[in-house]
Amino acid sequence: MTGASTHNLRVENLSIAYGTGERALHAVRDVSFSIAKGEAYGLIGESGSGKTSVAYALLKYLRGGTIRTGAIDIAGNDILAMSPSALRDFRGNRAAMVYQDPMSSLNPSIVVGEQIAEALRRHRGLDERAAWQRSVELLALVHLPAPDALAKRYPHQLSGGQQQRVVIALAIACEPDLLILDEPTTGLDVTTQAVVLDLIQELRHRVRSSILFISHNLGVVAQTCDRIGVLYAGELVEEGLCATVVSQPSHPYTAGLLRSMPRAADRAFELKPIPGSLPDLTRPPPGCIFAKRCEVAGAECTERRPGARRLSDTHVTRCFFPERVPELRDAGDKTVAPAVAAVAGPGAQPVLEMDALSLSFRQHVGLPFFGTVRETRALDDVSLSVPRGRTLAVVGESGSGKSTLARTVVGLLAAERGVVRFEGTALASQAAQRELDLRRRIQMIFQNPDGALNPQLRVGDIVARPLRLYGRAKAAEIPARVVELLEKVRLGARYASRFPHELSGGEKQRVNIARVLAADPEIIVCDEPTSALDISVQASVLNQLRELQAAAGLTYLFISHDLAVVRYISDTVAVMYLGRVVETGPTETIFHGPHHPYTESLLAALPEIDKPRRPVAAVPPLPDWGGKGCLFAPRCPRRIDGLCERVAPPLADTGDGRLMACHVPLSGLAAAQAAIPATEPA
Amino acid sequence: MVTFVVRRLAFMMLILVSVSFLTFLIVNVLPGDVANTILGDFATPDQVEALRQRLGLNQPVLYRYVEWAAGMVHGDFGISLKTNQPIGPTLWGRLKNSLILASLGLAVAIPIGIGLGVVAAVYKGSFLDRAITTTVVIIFALPEYVIGLALILIFSIRWNLLPASSLVLPGQSVFSNPLTLVLPIAVVALGMLAYFCQVTRASMIATLNSGYVRTAVLKGLHKRSVVVKHALRNAMIPTLAEIGLSFGYSLGGLVVIETVFSYPGIGQFLVQAIQNRDIPALQAAVIVVAAAYSIGNLIADVGSLALNPKLRV
Repeated sequence: MTGASTHNLRVENLSIAYGTGERALHAVRDVSFSIAKGEAYGLIGESGSGKTSVAYALLKYLRGGTIRTGAIDIAGNDILAMSPSALRDFRGNRAAMVYQDPMSSLNPSIVVGEQIAEALRRHRGLDERAAWQRSVELLALVHLPAPDALAKRYPHQLSGGQQQRVVIALAIACEPDLLILDEPTTGLDVTTQAVVLDLIQELRHRVRSSILFISHNLGVVAQTCDRIGVLYAGELVEEGLCATVVSQPSHPYTAGLLRSMPRAADRAFELKPIPGSLPDLTRPPPGCIFAKRCEVAGAECTERRPGARRLSDTHVTRCFFPERVPELRDAGDKTVAPAVAAVAGPGAQPVLEMDALSLSFRQHVGLPFFGTVRETRALDDVSLSVPRGRTLAVVGESGSGKSTLARTVVGLLAAERGVVRFEGTALASQAAQRELDLRRRIQMIFQNPDGALNPQLRVGDIVARPLRLYGRAKAAEIPARVVELLEKVRLGARYASRFPHELSGGEKQRVNIARVLAADPEIIVCDEPTSALDISVQASVLNQLRELQAAAGLTYLFISHDLAVVRYISDTVAVMYLGRVVETGPTETIFHGPHHPYTESLLAALPEIDKPRRPVAAVPPLPDWGGKGCLFAPRCPRRIDGLCERVAPPLADTGDGRLMACHVPLSGLAAAQAAIPATEPA
Repeated sequence: MVTFVVRRLAFMMLILVSVSFLTFLIVNVLPGDVANTILGDFATPDQVEALRQRLGLNQPVLYRYVEWAAGMVHGDFGISLKTNQPIGPTLWGRLKNSLILASLGLAVAIPIGIGLGVVAAVYKGSFLDRAITTTVVIIFALPEYVIGLALILIFSIRWNLLPASSLVLPGQSVFSNPLTLVLPIAVVALGMLAYFCQVTRASMIATLNSGYVRTAVLKGLHKRSVVVKHALRNAMIPTLAEIGLSFGYSLGGLVVIETVFSYPGIGQFLVQAIQNRDIPALQAAVIVVAAAYSIGNLIADVGSLALNPKLRV
């Protein structure tokens, strides 16, 4: 290969397969791209796109997979021709990787400093002391506090964000030519993600590595990378500068992906899911890989594979009809009911009320009869209500108590104080003590669609169970009702005889929805129903939920960590932090601002494709933070020293239809937040 | 750490009290009069009554238990019905012999078992792995007495290399003729190493598939460093717990092995106590075995604690 001087990575015609013969899965086919020195390249794809296979192939680390064809050149080294010992000298040295799950990527029984130091001893020939010293410097470089002490700690003693910074420090230890980031912020809270992304940006300018950034999140990639490659079912379908691909997608798949992404900045944006599902990669079709799901495909699309078509110096698409893509881009989903009125009328009777709910988790530590009890406040005096036919979204990061709230409402957890009311009547705190018919009327959709379905039962039986349990249909009518329910969630009757493991993630969640609908509920508690799903699948599930609400007048309590999803689905929002509601009110008011400082930091941290993310404000630590006062005070950029850390602000009416718990008056927040660009696009 | 050990010791006490009470109940309350059983069918009622007096069988069960337990706590294990000698000294000597056999067996089994397990896991699916796994399964499936008799047949009878019996004269140490130890140790070790190998292989395979081993490989470390430093240490955490459990299990196996080789250990002591209907001796032996079992577990748990920083709070 030539041109190694300008490029740190060249991948040519890479094909990867898992298994052999008839049943071989052709996960990656004919993928070519290159990354210039100092450039950051984002590789976007949903599950099954082969993006992780590509990442590991670059280090020649494919467990169970084989590289069928192709060439990989990193800074002049032919990776595929390397001997095992040359490869060992190369890995971690010239090319290094940051992994998706930092907790499992670090050895639990070795202190983090040593995990970095051993790489330095191995590749840099440093002695024990020099390697240790350098690893402490690296920990300081990734902005870990007190790096001397931190180097001696074990991974489980660090937070998720700190662990990922350790993994990044390890990856850049030998200043590699190529840094591969495999979903480095997936699984981190949005504010932690923002900190890690800022760190990656900063390091880009310090170390001269080329970066391959692999992600399913277009927003994250758009903010971090120069160029973007879109991978679909193992083929690179579009490539170009970030700004170009995002604003003028030229492949129907890219356009579909953009149409499926909810935007926190724009409620009116109608999601349009991509129809269909991934092709069977054991027998890839002869034509365009996306043809079966494409709405602008022509006859030739199914006959032959489109070649790479160059639209400009940097913009390449594998589509016969890139000129047809703009019409796709602008079309919303016309089948979906428009969002309901933003503000609930004053006369609307709440169908579900949560009144002063409190709940703590206690864990005994130390000797029996002697030790102490560690108490975690999961819910602290939470009062919220939802009018009939509306959606209340509860949003917050991990540890905010939002899932605890969901479980308390359905009676899986019992509140210690406070009460849940349904149509004005107090419910028993535990589901088992509630009347059967009350249980029927309040149903729940769980986060993990897989875990919520009994693997031993067929889909038809799963959906039929609530019908029998709650006596919603006569025995003879059940099969017909099951088919009706499956069709309601856009699964055909043929799904009734399948087992859960034969379904995709999106299909499983639809079965869950059908199962919940079988009970004919009035309230559905949705606990992160789309967080385990791909973006295009999420869009169809969200639209499904909105349609059902419009048709049957369902009331939703929607739990989510994703502000963009919340804005799309909800009428009112409650923002929770460490078990307390810090702000609640109509969705439009909450998103319009001025925001509670915590909401502000969530919105600022949100990676969106069409707005630059604001840098996260560093807050000086509180000298004598005793856990009293406002819980958010230690992180708050708007803190009033001397007040916030002593007195907890009450949840008070701000006069614009919402409640907020903040000592800073609304005008003060408005003034502070006006100083930085607003979240609404100009 | 200290908290953990204290808590475990408290549990151990509880276990020993329960075991002793249960054993006591079983031998004392089950149908059939102990004195009758001991004296046989032809005893006169007077003889039976005299023995009942001597054994204190006319007292309530709970009273007898407390009395017996109090004696145990003071190191008084009672008087053997067979020899009329105190049980304590004999029992300790036998326990010492058994511990020698078990520890030497462990000393052989641990390195070989873990080593084979690691090799099988690292070369998973290879011929070597299949050879090791198959052999180990066969050994594991064979009862100890079959292995013992087979070894005697081969090494003592056919080749006449090693003595078939470990009979030791009273007052002599088991080390007075070290060659007699070889076969019993081999049987003890074979059973244990088969087990350790399987446990190690399974937990090594899980560890080798973990994210941090992937990190270690992609750090460019040498294979030895990946396997020993990153994988083995973490794989040993569950393995050690298993070894502790198997220590107790091997004490059970000793009953058979000691009988096969006429080895003067606690297993043989137990069997003899049963054959002689020597109830005080039987009770004492059961308690000692239970204690040894618990201590073995405790040692293993402390060991895996030392390896696992997450539990070392």
